[in-house]
Amino acid sequence: MTARKRTSSLTNQPPPPKPTIAPAEDFRLAPPKLGVIFVISALLCSLYLYLLCFHYNVDSELKRPILINAGLSLVGFFVTLKLIPVAARYVLRRNMFGFDINKRGTPQGDVKVPESLGIVVGIVFLIVAIIFQFFNFTEDSLWLVEYNAALASICFMILLGFVDDVLDVPWRVKLLLPSFATLPLLMAYAGHTTIVIPKPLVSYVGLEILDLGRIYKLYMALLAVFCTNSINIHAGLNGLEIGQTVVIAAAILIHNVMQIGASVDSELRQAHAFSIYLTQPLMATSLAMLAYNWYPSAVFVGDTYTVFAGMTMAVAGILGHFSETLLIFFIPQVLNFLLSLPQLAGIVKCPRHRLPKFDPATGLLTGTKDGTLVNVYLRIFGRKSEKSLCVHLLVFQALACAFCFLLRHFLAGWYK
Amino acid sequence: MARRKRPSRTSKPDPPSEPISEQNTTRNTPDDVFHLSPPKLGTIFVISTLLCSLHLYLLCFHYNVETELRSSILINAGLSFVGFFVTLKMIPVAARYVLRRNMFGFDINKRGTPQGEIKVPESLGIVVGVVFLIVAIIFQYFNFTEDSNWLVEYNAALASICFMILLGFVDDVLDVPWRVKLALPSFATLPLLMAYAGHTTIVIPKPLVGYVGLEVLDLGRIYKLYMGLLAVFCTNSINIHAGLNGLEIGQTVVTAAAILIHNVMQIGSSTDPEYHQAHAFSIYLTQPLMATSLALLAFNWYPSSVFVGDTYTVFAGMTMAVVGILGHFSETLLIFFVPQILNFVLSVPQLVGIVKCPRHRLPRFDPATGLLTGTKDGTLVNVYLRLFGPKSEKSLCIHLLVFQALACAFCFVLRYFLAGWYK
Repeated sequence: MTARKRTSSLTNQPPPPKPTIAPAEDFRLAPPKLGVIFVISALLCSLYLYLLCFHYNVDSELKRPILINAGLSLVGFFVTLKLIPVAARYVLRRNMFGFDINKRGTPQGDVKVPESLGIVVGIVFLIVAIIFQFFNFTEDSLWLVEYNAALASICFMILLGFVDDVLDVPWRVKLLLPSFATLPLLMAYAGHTTIVIPKPLVSYVGLEILDLGRIYKLYMALLAVFCTNSINIHAGLNGLEIGQTVVIAAAILIHNVMQIGASVDSELRQAHAFSIYLTQPLMATSLAMLAYNWYPSAVFVGDTYTVFAGMTMAVAGILGHFSETLLIFFIPQVLNFLLSLPQLAGIVKCPRHRLPKFDPATGLLTGTKDGTLVNVYLRIFGRKSEKSLCVHLLVFQALACAFCFLLRHFLAGWYK
Repeated sequence: MARRKRPSRTSKPDPPSEPISEQNTTRNTPDDVFHLSPPKLGTIFVISTLLCSLHLYLLCFHYNVETELRSSILINAGLSFVGFFVTLKMIPVAARYVLRRNMFGFDINKRGTPQGEIKVPESLGIVVGVVFLIVAIIFQYFNFTEDSNWLVEYNAALASICFMILLGFVDDVLDVPWRVKLALPSFATLPLLMAYAGHTTIVIPKPLVGYVGLEVLDLGRIYKLYMGLLAVFCTNSINIHAGLNGLEIGQTVVTAAAILIHNVMQIGSSTDPEYHQAHAFSIYLTQPLMATSLALLAFNWYPSSVFVGDTYTVFAGMTMAVVGILGHFSETLLIFFVPQILNFVLSVPQLVGIVKCPRHRLPRFDPATGLLTGTKDGTLVNVYLRLFGPKSEKSLCIHLLVFQALACAFCFVLRYFLAGWYK
């Protein structure tokens, strides 16, 4: 469900030969929007860092690796920032670009925007994650299995995402292959496969704890496939894909810190630390790309980014043992998926792009009848500019995450 | 070091009319019209028999391998066999997609003949890589329990190999500079080094003990550096010993067969279960490599209907380095790689820049006779031609593969004779 028109696969007249011959050095990417990123980072990370360093008394043996990981992630931020303009040149040279449909009719709509820059984020993430192993794990650590399985799953997902961006595989294949990418994860998941029956239902079910066994593993696999694809279909506005990822990532980090601070079980704390070790680099590298992808986008992220981000968060949720919480963070994505179901299933006609309609004269987007959160939001709240709509949707995402925290707090005694 | 001319990257612009007509042909021609030549299954059957029969005989009949281990290996062989057919089916499909994306090359060793005008799809190594990973991932379920010791090494191996496939494919698509190509594989080896929980000692050859003063020398971190360099070497060396139809995959399957035979021999002649596991581990990764590679060879054997791309060569090199390192037989692996080492040593002056290094260091093709003549470039291919006279491409490839097999056989002979003397 690509949101950008790909010239090389749709057009029936050949692009003029000049683009391939024009020297790549002439191409200059718009400068990164560092001011916006600074604001976003401050908004998202400050609560987390406060909780980690001051509010909770996290013992130093755990705090040190987390801070080392944060430091490596910061380095990853700057490396990604430097590499994106370089990669953009290479990607353009290979004719991997799109036109921004939401700017069609304005001069910006004719600019060739480099696609699939998610590959930079993916590779830098993997390198940070690989290097971090040396700082944290000893050779006989129990967590090494999970960590390597996580790396293998995420790496396979990045590979499949990039292959999809390059070769444009059919959507059935896109649905099937991530299932294979989750298998190393499922194999390495050595945790409980039980669910806690909510107290009010115990008398009906007759059990307090239900061991789902293999069905739990099936649930985990479906969760991964869902996360991987759901970010992909809640897309189409400049900065929306990365934006939703960093908001959810911030919520994940806050949740992890709260669990570490409020628990004495060392296994549980390790699980949440594990999730932090993967989410901090995701956050940092994503913010670096957001510097270029925020409105107006100078680069597009491609399926490479969306499947990578979805898989990483699914991995963090599964191996950190908070997958149910993760699902509540994903409420907007779940909503969007449910709204999209009629068109995805083919019951309602599904056009190539399900984007809102852009009016070049006013610069505003109007919601169409397509079943996406973007369109429904526009139909409920009226026309908006692209940037303002994106900000609205990100605030909605943040509210959904905040709602999750409230829910957990209120249900804490009642549910478990 | 791509040996195929990639039209979209030539520095000298083609005359303006050509690209348009090329693109008209590729755009207006419906995808279904493109048909890949049928796979050369007869050749593959012969090659497979030559390479695999000794390994299977040793595994099933000659050595008394314990049943549990043997059944794991046979399950892996069965999955690999399935992988062979899946790869065989997927390559024509992928070739269509790859061509649509303008990822193709022209066969330089056929320039001047009609075959030299055909657009050959590139980078089909991605199919081999993806199928390999899926087979390797699925095999975990048949073999390991959740608390197995080998799960760390297995996942680290998967992570390293997967990262290498990713980098190789990114290189095929974006054509990264060669310095980057050298640096990035070092990162891909890191999960491997982390997971290597084996000994970092080397055994000093008996004749030298008197001089060194030790029987066993613990190299510690230097051993890990050696392993990292070995992986980078293997990854790149197959890439530069290339340029003939079928040479890249051919050298891989010959070396893989040698690895399998070595593994089985070591399992058969040892009683230490840890030792058995190490070599079994190597078999679990090499059998899928062998099977999927043979499927690609069915299309890549002379005359090639697909090209393998850097994706394949770096994937193959990394997989063999991984099994050598985690199976604890990296020194033996190096001797299997003698032709690649020779080729690397011959290439050093040009790689370093002392001697001028052209874009392609291929032999010269004469369309009239159909023979290749060696140039002054420092590659094994050229040196072989200069020593033994002009040859056709197919015959030269076979010669070089026989040379590879002889080098591996020499290694077995060497190990046998040095067994008492060396260790």
